[in-house]
Amino acid sequence: MRPVYLDYAATTPVAAPVLAAMMDCLGTDGVFGNPGSASHEYGDCARSTVERARAQVAAAVGAEADEIVWTSGATEANNLALFGVTHYYAKRGKHMVTSRTEHKAVLDPCAELVRRGWRVTYLVPGAGGIVEPHQVAAALTPETVLVSIMHVNNEIGVVQDVAGIAQVCARQGAWLHVDAAQSMGKVAVDFARSGVDLMSFSAHKVYGPKGVGALCVSRRAGVQLAAQIFGVGQERGVRAGTLATHQVVGMGAAFELAQTLWIGELPRIKDLQQRLSQGLMALGGVLRNGDSQNSVPHLLNLSFEGVEGESLLAAVAPQIAVSTGSACMSANPEPSYVLRALGRDEQRAESSLRFSLGRFTTEAEIDVTVSVVKQAVLHLRRIGGAGILGA
Amino acid sequence: MNYNSLTRQYFELAPQVGVLEGSDTYRGAAGSRAHGTWVQFDLAVQQEEACAVVREARFLAYGCPYVIAAAAWIAKKAPGVQAGGALPASVLALQQRFEAPVEKLGRLLAVEDAWNDAMKMWRGSMRSRP
Repeated sequence: MRPVYLDYAATTPVAAPVLAAMMDCLGTDGVFGNPGSASHEYGDCARSTVERARAQVAAAVGAEADEIVWTSGATEANNLALFGVTHYYAKRGKHMVTSRTEHKAVLDPCAELVRRGWRVTYLVPGAGGIVEPHQVAAALTPETVLVSIMHVNNEIGVVQDVAGIAQVCARQGAWLHVDAAQSMGKVAVDFARSGVDLMSFSAHKVYGPKGVGALCVSRRAGVQLAAQIFGVGQERGVRAGTLATHQVVGMGAAFELAQTLWIGELPRIKDLQQRLSQGLMALGGVLRNGDSQNSVPHLLNLSFEGVEGESLLAAVAPQIAVSTGSACMSANPEPSYVLRALGRDEQRAESSLRFSLGRFTTEAEIDVTVSVVKQAVLHLRRIGGAGILGA
Repeated sequence: MNYNSLTRQYFELAPQVGVLEGSDTYRGAAGSRAHGTWVQFDLAVQQEEACAVVREARFLAYGCPYVIAAAAWIAKKAPGVQAGGALPASVLALQQRFEAPVEKLGRLLAVEDAWNDAMKMWRGSMRSRP
């Protein structure tokens, strides 16, 4: 039997209707033409299919279709946003603002910008993981070109007030990029109303295929990007390369489906998370990471006192698939930088597990998870001498 | 991470986990939980005709699966080992037996240090005997 899957924040299985839509693009009878071919029906058909998918994604995120730039995923979208904007507006100044709890797909481009002579201010969120708009305001200078703050944190599920941050940025004339890879299908996303200038999305977090994402670029704000990939000039010259029709069709279908289903799914996910949380908290010595009042119910990040992170993961892995908050699987074991940024000590950061729930999670799976984790924690605490005099 | 079957077995079953009490028991510990690895051995030593030997051993460990498995394995192999002697297997041999990545060597050293600490306690008690 396969382990219970509770790692939906890492990736999701492709939903059946999404798979069907993608299959229609493959094979000799499929929509296999090059969307860039303007001289025949195959190309026309592929192009209209791609544009329909673009419209689906735009409708799901509250954007206009011509604000969507296809990418290979959220990582490329983040890179395009950060390098595209900073390259284009470098003459305005060389300063950007981000937070210490961003995904590596933002932090690593920031590190590269520093190597290129930019100054980056890294905001430290409060203990719950929230970056307050006033923190952003205090960091802005006349030289600030770009602010990049994620919407839903991938480790702790905290939701940032991106609309509030957008107001602050607009007043100062800085562009705001938001990594929304974890947002779709979990919280309301309205690109136009949020006031955000650029927003990154990924398909595979939303029951779509891997290898496709999008960057929303606000037409209202008139934000410009310097191209980072050169070629035939697809995507209005911003991102060259033949579009993978079946992939973008998959993303369109997945986003449309998520937009239809997410509100209906929410109460069930909340109930499951509560069942999981209550079951595990009963162990004692269990601490929640992240502000529970401002989090999506799909993610639950817990630290377990008295157990070591790698051992905890090894003990539960045969039966449940979760992520550890620490990167202890790597050659150089380091606790989660996100939890460390929130002020958690090394031990608490290292002994955390991220449970991420999704569309196919069942109550029975939650009960198995509670049982397996409880057994593992008690076993490891006993081995570690918890409660034994002299240990 | 893929652990070999021996590591899985000793990590999951953790034979000999616990503590020993008694006047013939010597306790040694090394490492710290705050630094991610801590090991404790309790060794019960009995005097035989020619020499003193470990009669029984128990361990406690906080650390990665390799540390737990290695400490459990050592505690199981300890009975019959001459008191005052070195760890029944070297750290390098433990690393090979459990197929631990080389970067885990530092953590496995805590197993040896805890053993040596217990033996130091035994030697100390021998010196103080009338």
